[in-house]
Parts: sequence; structure tokens; C-alpha cells
Amino acid sequence: MRYKSQSVAYWYFAVAMALFGLQLVFGLLSAAKYLGPDPLLYILPFDVTKVIHTNLLIVWVLTGFMGATYWMVPDESRTELYSTRLAYIQLGLWTAMGVTAIIGYLFRYGTGNKLLEQPLPHKIVIVICMLIFLYNIGMTIKKSGRFTTTEGVLLLGLASAAVLYIPALLHYENYTVSIYYRWWTIHLWVEGVWEMIQGGFLAYLLIRLSGADREVMDKWLYVIVGLVFIAGILGTAHHYYWVGVPSYWLPIGGFFSALEPVALVGMAMYAYYAMRRSGLAHPNNLALHWTIGSAVFTLFGAGLLGFAHTFPSVNKWTHGTLITAMHGHAAFYGAYAMIIMAMITYALPSLTRGRSEDSNSLGYWAFWLQLAGMFGMTLSFATAGIGQVYLERILGLGYLDTQLKIQIHFLMLVATGSIFAVGVGLFIYDFFRLPPRLSVDRDDPALSTQAVR
Amino acid sequence: MNRRQTRLFAIGSTALATIVFVGLTIDSHRQFPELTNADTITPAVTRGKDVWHEYNCINCHTLFGEGAYYAPDLTKIAQHRGEPYLTAFLKDPSQFYDEQRHRRLMPNQDLDDEEIASLIAFFEWVANVDNQGWPPRPILVAGSSIPGTSMTLAQQDASGPGSTDETLPPGSRPVSEEDDPVALGDALFNSATPTCSACHSIAPGVNLAGPSLAGIASRAEQIIGSEEYQGDADSVEAYIRESIVAPSAYLFPGEMYSANGTSFMPTTYAESLTSEQVDQLVAYLSTFK
Repeated sequence: MRYKSQSVAYWYFAVAMALFGLQLVFGLLSAAKYLGPDPLLYILPFDVTKVIHTNLLIVWVLTGFMGATYWMVPDESRTELYSTRLAYIQLGLWTAMGVTAIIGYLFRYGTGNKLLEQPLPHKIVIVICMLIFLYNIGMTIKKSGRFTTTEGVLLLGLASAAVLYIPALLHYENYTVSIYYRWWTIHLWVEGVWEMIQGGFLAYLLIRLSGADREVMDKWLYVIVGLVFIAGILGTAHHYYWVGVPSYWLPIGGFFSALEPVALVGMAMYAYYAMRRSGLAHPNNLALHWTIGSAVFTLFGAGLLGFAHTFPSVNKWTHGTLITAMHGHAAFYGAYAMIIMAMITYALPSLTRGRSEDSNSLGYWAFWLQLAGMFGMTLSFATAGIGQVYLERILGLGYLDTQLKIQIHFLMLVATGSIFAVGVGLFIYDFFRLPPRLSVDRDDPALSTQAVR
Repeated sequence: MNRRQTRLFAIGSTALATIVFVGLTIDSHRQFPELTNADTITPAVTRGKDVWHEYNCINCHTLFGEGAYYAPDLTKIAQHRGEPYLTAFLKDPSQFYDEQRHRRLMPNQDLDDEEIASLIAFFEWVANVDNQGWPPRPILVAGSSIPGTSMTLAQQDASGPGSTDETLPPGSRPVSEEDDPVALGDALFNSATPTCSACHSIAPGVNLAGPSLAGIASRAEQIIGSEEYQGDADSVEAYIRESIVAPSAYLFPGEMYSANGTSFMPTTYAESLTSEQVDQLVAYLSTFK
């Protein structure tokens, strides 16, 4: 850590990790309910555990993005943050928003609109936090006068994420129209601007970890952003097929969704070539694992598994089945959970005391157990989903009877989910086991290995 | 490509995609009123939408295939099940599904009558939205479009207890006019609209939306001999005919089959089937001793 104010990232990461842990508790609870019967039917029914599971994901991933940005921007712009006080106020507000939202969900206090369940007061606090955040980062860059492409892409991604949240604040009388604009927020986040954010972090990490040439990275980054948006914006159509829109959305969705993996292939290639070109000279090998891992797992989860069911003629049969859960879990984990863990793993030796850059075996266990667990979960959802599509959608067996026949895959889901949880548990333990470092001091390993580029 | 060109590519492709997307959005808005029958969005439908949101339904069920995957899709539910059934179900789901058997049960939401009526109005609106013909075939909550596939392995075992030749999947052989009325009734059981086999199984103990028809002949004898029976039938054949054309003449016990003295079974067969066809069905069903 070369700038004292970077230490605010530690607290953002700490909140993100705590919420990540909580997310898994509600995930495992939800998975167990698939096995049934449910002893918590009237205490904590599935709709409550599920809404908490998905909302915790959104909150912790955004917390991680913010923390990672507060870490990266001083490094890139070579300056202290504009205001650490604002950053702490923002974190306090944000965490209070997240925690009260979760408590509210326990009592069904929410909008009941998928993934946008946050009540209006919470949505307003989200917007306020975003504005504080963008102001703080913007002023930091303005103060320094040094604005890199990596920062530019990251900032544009974060600012667009805030803008795209606006449709979520509005009220729609027609349910179809409300679905139409819900995807402006959700789809254009995860298959648009969040990918920009991921690309920005990826470029930063590759430049720092593998010493990749900044000029080359910048070009790659632009190409990837172009590819993400040319496919991603019109790819929104794959959410529109069956909700009551004009029929031209079907061929548009089929074509542009098929293009969506191209950007992800580019991202994986660029990560791999950066590693090949400059070797593995950086001692923080574990961070490189997470970085390359994120690029590759995104290609698998978001690219390949997304492509597997976005053609209208396929989606007609798979829409609304566990096939979607298969794609959702692998995509979110690879693209967003892993890139944040990459940033954390990269920053942690500087953010905590007594941690060497040569990553410990605990960190590797956490990495591989998570990967194995998530791969297994993806396969469980996939096999359950394929069974469901054939039995329920094609043969016409009733929903409930079908679910009974695919029970074995839910057992597999709980088993592999538990392996994943152990991996995450190790990561969280590794994060918290050493005390934070809140000042710039000489024994910071990063100061000796981190070349300034 | 140099850095400037790649940047131009990023900005240009984003701008282009955005322009096309906004244009299509404007056109979609032009078509939404017709596609979604916006003129039928009554206050009750809007209220039903609010009930749907208030009770967080979407985090178990799907609507238009969107939501969670823990409970059945409800896009066309108002076309599959009538208002009396849906009302009775929403009053107490545990009357219709058993958590031990299905391993899953909808918790009772304690909805009041106004909420239930609005929710059903909302489902009616949803079911009529022009959504490109999705789902391509009906998504059933329970039971099966293909009789037998929802049975356990033991039930499928043709040599098992209670099996007869008639429990083999019907429709497995084609029928013609010369065939025995029983065979014609067998085919009709799976082809009449709405199809009988969607709600009635002929396998013992397999109760779907309607009671199993296995053993209906012996049961009919007992029913018409009992004091509760208020109908006009004096024979097994007459009883089955009456059950088809006037379903509420005798109410089969169980809250999942009727409410307020009205059977949930469609009353359309008296008109949609010819007298000859009803005879064939009676012939077929009265073989189940």
C-alpha cells in the first residue's frame, strides 16, 4: 500500500466478506428446501431465504466493487483519496441500508419485484451512496490530474450502473412494461456495465501482476468494451421473448445473444496472453490464480452456459427452469465474485499485518474448494434442469411430480454447495485472521515488489 | 489497430447499439397496448398485481417464466383452472397438496376474499397477454399429460396389485369406427376437450385434480345405494353418464374436488360430446370394476 487512504478498502472488503458468508447461509437453506419437507415453512419460507440470498449477492458484490475501486484509484492516479471521511460515511450508510433491507425481508417488507426488492427508502439510499462514491472518486482523479484508461473504463462502468438503476425507481402500471424496464437495470448491469467494471479490474491486475504492457492492455480493454456493448445492449432481448413484446425481439435476441460470448472469449484470451507473455514473476501467485480464474470461469459460466439457452427455439423449452439457475450461479461467481476475490487477494498483503506476498496454502485450498464446489453446483443445476425440461416441458409431466423425480440432483446440489461453502469459509477466515494495517509502513511487502508503471 | 481506433470502436459500437435499442423500445411501446390488452387492465387487475408483489410470490413462482424455480409457473393458470378451484386453493393450499408426498407445500398466505379475487383477475389478464405462444405446451402443476408417467415404478408395474389391461397407456393403438365402444371410449378419454385424462387417472390410488376412476363401477353401486345420494341414476351406467353431463349431481368427497356444492369438473361435456360419445365413455369407464 503506497497511499494511506487505500486502507479504507479494508473495511469495504470486510463488510463484503461478512455479507458473502451470510449469503451462503441463506443459499444452503434454500437448497435444503428443495429436498423438503420444510420444517421452517412458516418461520423462514423459501421466498424469504431466496430473496435474502440474491439481495445479499447484489449488496456484497457492489461493496466489493466500491472497496476495490478505493484501492485501485489511488494506485492508478498516484494520489491519496479526495476524502476518506466521505468514504467511511458512504460505507456506514451503505451497510445500514443493506442490513435493514435484509431484516425487512424477514418480515416481507419489500417490493416483490425480482432482484429489485429493495423498498423505496432503501433505493434512495443506494442512489445517495452511489453519488457520494462517484463524487469522491471523480474528485480524487481530478486532484491528481492523472486519468488512465483502466480508470476511465471502471468509472464509466460504475457511473452507468448508477444511471441504469433509475428505471428501477419508477412505477409501471402494466406488468409487461415493468418487466421490460426491470431488465434495463438487471441485464444491462450484469451483461453490460458490470462487465466493464470487471474488465477494468482485470486490466489493472494483469498490469500489476504480470507486468503486461499498458498500451496493449488499453487496446484490448477498448475492444472488449466495444464487443460487450454491441452484443450486450441488444442481447437484452433474450429476456423479452415470452413476456408480451413484439415478435421481432426473438431473432434480435437470438443473434446478439450469440455474439455475447465473443467479448468473454476476448477477455479470457487477453488474461491468458498477459500471463504467458510476462511469466509468473510476481510473488502473489494466488492473486493471479483468481484473476485468470475469473476470466476463464466467466467464459464458461456467462459465455458458454448463457449461450446454451439463449436461442429462442431452445429458450422456448428451457425458460423458467433450473437451467437458468445453472447459468446464473456460474456466471455471477466467475465474473463478479471471483474478480473481487482477485482484488482482495492482491491487496490483502498490504492491507493486513504479517502476511507475506507468497500466498499460503490456506488461500489455495480456499481457491480450489470454491472452484470445485461451484463447478459441482453448476452441474447439479444443469442435470436437474435438463431433467426438468424433458419431463415437465417436453413430456408434460406435472411440475410437482417432476421435482420429485429429480431429487437426486438436489442432494448433489447440497453436497457440492457445502464444499463451496467450506472454500468460502476458508477465504473469509484467511481474510480476518490477521489484523488490518492502517498506515503506510516499511515492512509492507508491496512496497518492495510493486513496480510503478 | 492503434489505441485511438480501438477507442472509436468501443464508442461507436456502443452508440450504434444504443440507438437501435432505443428505437425498438419506442416501437415496442407503440405495440404494448395491443399485445397486453392494456384496455383490460381494470382496477382489480392492478390490485391483483399489487397483491402478487406484496406477498413476494415471484420468489417461489414464475410468471411469464420469470421468477424463482421452487414452485410452478402461473402464466396460464387461469386458463387451466377455474375461479372456484383457484379460490379454494388460495384459501388453503394444504387441502390440495400433501407436503409429505410432494415434499413441498405452499404456505397459507391468509389472503382475504378481496385479495384472492384481485389476484385471480390479475392471473386472467396475464394468461391473455400475447406472449409468442409460450409455453409451447401446457405446464401442469401436478399429474401428467401422458397418463402413467406420473406414477411410481410400482404403479407402473403391470403385474402389480390392482392392475388391469386398461391401465396400460391408452392411445397406444389406433381406433376406428368398427372398434368396440370400450376402445372408442378409451381413445375419447384422452382426446375429448378438455381431456378427461388431464384430471382423472385410471390407476388405483392416483388422484389428480379429479379422483381416480379406478374401481368406479363398484363405487357407483355403493354410491347409488347410499342415503347421501340425491341424483337420478338407478344403474352404474346411468350414474357415470350423469357424472359426465352433470358433474355436481353427486359430489365426490374431498375439498379438492368441489366447493360450495359445485364440482370443479367442467360442465361442458353435455354439449361438446354427442350422446353416442358419452355412451362410449360410459362403456369404457364402467369396465373399471
